[in-house]
Amino acid sequence: MPEYTLKIRRFDPESGEAAYWADYTAELPAERSVLDGILQVKDRTDASIGIRCSCRAAICGSCGVRINGRSALACNTRIGEAAERGRDGAITVEPMGNMPVIKDLITDMEAVHWRKVQRVVPWLIPAEDPPEDQEYIVAAEAMLDVTQAMACIHCGACVSACLSMEVDPNFIGPAALAKAYRFVGDPRDGEHEARLRDLAEDPHGIYDCTHCFACVEVCPKDVAPMDQIMRLRRRATEDFQIKDQNNGYGHEKAFVNLIEKYGTNHEAQLLPRSFGDGSLVKGQLRPSGAKQLTRELPTALRGLRTGKVTPKKALLHPRLPDQKQVRRIFQEVESHGERIELNLYIVGELAGEEEEGAFAEDAGET
Amino acid sequence: MKLAYWPGCVSRGFTPELHGSMAKVAPLLDLELIELDRANCCGAGVIAEHNQELVDTLNARTFAMAQSVEGAAGMINICSTCQGAQSECQERLDASGTYRAEVNAHLAPEGLTYRQGDGWWNKNFLWVLVEEIGLDALRERVQRPLSGLRIAPFYGCYIVRPSKRLGFDEHPERDYYLDMVIEAVGAAPVEYAGARKCCGFPVITMNRTTSLRQAGRHLADALDADADCLVTPCPLCHLNLDLQQPAAAGFVERDLGIAVLHLPQMIGLALGLEPKELGMGKHVVSTGDVQRKVAAVAAAA
Amino acid sequence: MPAHDVLIIGAGLAGQRAALAAAREGATVAIMSKVHPVRSHSNAAAGGINAALNPDDSWESHAFDTVKGSDYLGDQDAIEIMCREAPDEVLWLEHSGVTFHRNETGHLGTRAFGGASAARTYYVADITGQALLHVLYEQLMKHHEQIDRYEEWFVTNLAQDDAGECVGAIARNIRDGAMELFTAKATIQASGGAGQCFKPTTNALICTGDGIAQSYRIGAPLMDMEMIQYHPTTLAGNGILITEGARGEGAHLYNAEGERFMEKYAPNKMELASRDVVSRAEHTEIIEGRGFPDGTVALDITVVPRKRIHEALREIVNVGRDFAGVDITREPIHIKPGNHYVMGGVKTDIWGQTPITGLYAAGECACVSVHGGNRLGANSLLDTLVFGRRSGEHAARAVSAAPVPEPSRARLTDEERMIGALVTRGSSHRRVSELKAELGRTMDKYVAVFRDENGLRTALEIVQRLKEEAGDVAIDDKGTVFNQDVLGALELEFMLDNAEAIVLSALERKESRGAQHRTDFPQRNDDEWLKHINVEANGDAPAISYSEVTMTQWEPQERTY
Repeated sequence: MPEYTLKIRRFDPESGEAAYWADYTAELPAERSVLDGILQVKDRTDASIGIRCSCRAAICGSCGVRINGRSALACNTRIGEAAERGRDGAITVEPMGNMPVIKDLITDMEAVHWRKVQRVVPWLIPAEDPPEDQEYIVAAEAMLDVTQAMACIHCGACVSACLSMEVDPNFIGPAALAKAYRFVGDPRDGEHEARLRDLAEDPHGIYDCTHCFACVEVCPKDVAPMDQIMRLRRRATEDFQIKDQNNGYGHEKAFVNLIEKYGTNHEAQLLPRSFGDGSLVKGQLRPSGAKQLTRELPTALRGLRTGKVTPKKALLHPRLPDQKQVRRIFQEVESHGERIELNLYIVGELAGEEEEGAFAEDAGET
Repeated sequence: MKLAYWPGCVSRGFTPELHGSMAKVAPLLDLELIELDRANCCGAGVIAEHNQELVDTLNARTFAMAQSVEGAAGMINICSTCQGAQSECQERLDASGTYRAEVNAHLAPEGLTYRQGDGWWNKNFLWVLVEEIGLDALRERVQRPLSGLRIAPFYGCYIVRPSKRLGFDEHPERDYYLDMVIEAVGAAPVEYAGARKCCGFPVITMNRTTSLRQAGRHLADALDADADCLVTPCPLCHLNLDLQQPAAAGFVERDLGIAVLHLPQMIGLALGLEPKELGMGKHVVSTGDVQRKVAAVAAAA
Repeated sequence: MPAHDVLIIGAGLAGQRAALAAAREGATVAIMSKVHPVRSHSNAAAGGINAALNPDDSWESHAFDTVKGSDYLGDQDAIEIMCREAPDEVLWLEHSGVTFHRNETGHLGTRAFGGASAARTYYVADITGQALLHVLYEQLMKHHEQIDRYEEWFVTNLAQDDAGECVGAIARNIRDGAMELFTAKATIQASGGAGQCFKPTTNALICTGDGIAQSYRIGAPLMDMEMIQYHPTTLAGNGILITEGARGEGAHLYNAEGERFMEKYAPNKMELASRDVVSRAEHTEIIEGRGFPDGTVALDITVVPRKRIHEALREIVNVGRDFAGVDITREPIHIKPGNHYVMGGVKTDIWGQTPITGLYAAGECACVSVHGGNRLGANSLLDTLVFGRRSGEHAARAVSAAPVPEPSRARLTDEERMIGALVTRGSSHRRVSELKAELGRTMDKYVAVFRDENGLRTALEIVQRLKEEAGDVAIDDKGTVFNQDVLGALELEFMLDNAEAIVLSALERKESRGAQHRTDFPQRNDDEWLKHINVEANGDAPAISYSEVTMTQWEPQERTY
């Protein structure tokens, strides 16, 4: 039976000593999990190793750790594969990131994860009283849609991997924001606008996500938290026109308008328009817009100095030869009245197996 | 090899040195690039946030144009963000025939159709180097090995995550290619924490602190690992790491001052081109040190 | 010293539901769990929850299916209550926000499940348990001012006063090792099952029968402990569960000869016969040589349309891929019967009361009994919610006027001393894991799908020897912060109490009924054995007694599917 070296990050809070690495050996088939390996070490060698674990089947979310630097559940990471990806065949196991460590591989989820989840008011606030002796009537697609956010098992892997949170510990974070979508996407909830406004205006809210896909990459349940954050942004801007103080609305509008107008990005206008909710004029004249623009002045000057940017480039930008075709596409798609979203989580791969209504039509809220 | 070529918006905007250096480097690698000058922006993730059908249609238009280039093996891009944004759209388009037909209906008036299958691909220059040209072929063409240069790779999020969508099943080492290419041109790839992290560009207008703290940290980590410069296949990353570097220094409260090269510039230097023709004078953070080191290597050789 | 009207031990579905119900009645409530509430094993229940909501269905039909499923050992009054109250419970859940699956008209949609004569299983993809658990936790977060949560606190024992009444519990804060005596006018045990006595098992590592043992130790009788359910579709080796939902969606079972063998055992219901029937069928195929070399049969899910798999069975896709290396959309997966559920538990009445004043029990740790000799799929979630609610309500009402108990702090000091002694114990004896493994192997070998007198006697000897050895197990961890080692030693002792009761009951019942199949008594014997078997603590010789099965409408019949 193969032998594996597990380098586990130990930390004893009562010893007064810093965290340290300790090597252990586990002997088990390659398809077994890293958790099985750690439990074997606990069983045979050192039962003081602290790790939360329960179901062993990637459902309870207890065993979030970092394996070879990557946030994951210990129970559904195969030990053979982990060894292949490890340096010199050794598997490093350390506690999740972005959270305080209590002992060994056990982190304080309360201080980071659960605090942020509670921040988004994570319970249904019904729009209407329930019908008597009956369920609320809800479209099947809506319930399927929020099943993706509902699949979250609160393991914390996304929080651990979040690059925004690394530099901004106050970022509400992928797990909590995905949970927020579970309510914004639920037709029975009556607080969509209030929730979106709250999360859009918060400087550490939906516009603090650096769009890096780290959470999508590590989520063991395909919740794709970043996708949920983008849906929150979409609802905030399209359905409620929330013009947040973080320029989230402005940036999106600016970019979209520029492509509709020119076909390619006119960078020199992107910044001022972002500061002006999409409008070039507002971006330059409105006090907050002007202030932000002024702050960017040194950067702009450097660009000019090095010749990256020329005054001509700053002022003029060519339209694509067939820009009217691009504009036509914009008009056609946006005059649907419904947003089409093909969520592969729900429909999977249908190539070769077409059926009617293969994708969800999201009526949005106008 | 003939390729349909999508240069992206930024390479023709605020990082002209990228566009220029790619044009110089391509012939040296026997790449015939047919520029798609009628194609539109990939959306950079922002249009996807706004409306998925719209961005899928806009990119299907680009794909359709690329597919009409006679004799082209595939499409090449020079921007991690284009790669990621386009791969996301392609995944949706390829997943459903019904959806694809809907999207193609918008393209029909222009006589364009996106066809799925037939092994058509869209690859970033980095992937083309390793998978289509090959590291051996690259090594053979190196005129000026960049020995002694310590280069820190900065991949850019959109080209390494999510791995399932970016073809890692077939090419599991795609998140290691930049290191391999740096080695192939004779330089030493530097290991540091920020190599596959985020430069912060997507939030530069929305949370400047979050944005520039990231850029600042990764640059600082590279400096602390004794890197001479960074190299990146993404011009948006380049903007946050180079154009914004002086501002980023303020957010990490230390001096920075480390040059950031575009991938074609690094390749170009190794293939014997001169810094000036690669636009290395157009950077905000001077590439002077790198240029001197490279000249010293050449002199010693 | 914390004092509450109602103390709930266990924060799975039963515990959380009890907490919400008790708070609604105006009681002061504490809910305590040795893991964070969302880690409770309720989250593993995949398939769905039963209720006769459909106007074409009836609670009587649901009740009859349940009675038959129980092999007539279930108490029919309790079953009637559960089935009658099920529709309201499901509606309450939906009103609280559960994201149930819908049909085309936007109403709650159903799926087919085992042992049911009509489609009455309501579900959320294949994460129903998780969805219910998380929504209940949302409600706990919402009502945080009325319900005090003690998350990651481990109850070491229940507290009793001199009159033998239950007055609360002693618990250890796992985070920092501090111990505390929690006083309560009523205590509800909702701490789940004891599957970890068996190896392999579908159950989580936390399912060590703590509450069953604790209640047993202060004198509450355990009932029907011999009734242990073996779930038909679990992965060989690690025991991970493949939900019954797969068979509900149309998956087939095959032996190594390509035969769809359920034809021989349950020609009408086929793969959707009652779980004990299917498990016995599989086991028979395997021991008669028609299984695969790894001791399994095949579950073929490829017959289910892909769209449906994505909608309703995606967990299985993940499980197949992550734990068996199989793409279930393309090939069959090998499975065998695995330990899954304890039908028995702490004996309660229809309000969750045990004979010990002040002590209630609900959920898997309780035995009302609604499951009798075998539990139907999707009835467990229902059981936890209906009886969780009922015990919470009853406890709150019963104690509203009662005075706060004042138990002696000596109890707390005793527990602290006990833990202290454990921690300082050396490492020269057998390890906890060794004893656990031996227990698990023993139970899996002798107390599984097929049992006999010799095997059960052997098991009993081993269990009793392990009980002695458990008093001396080695402890590595001398710390106070998150000392999982010490907790493991305590859990081992709880498990052994459970195991002993299980084996004694299995020995006592000299017939085959429901999940108990004795090769030496292979027939059901209503004349002599249509009764419950109870076990009560009594030093070294637990006392066995019997109690009547309550029958309201249905006389026992031959049970075929």
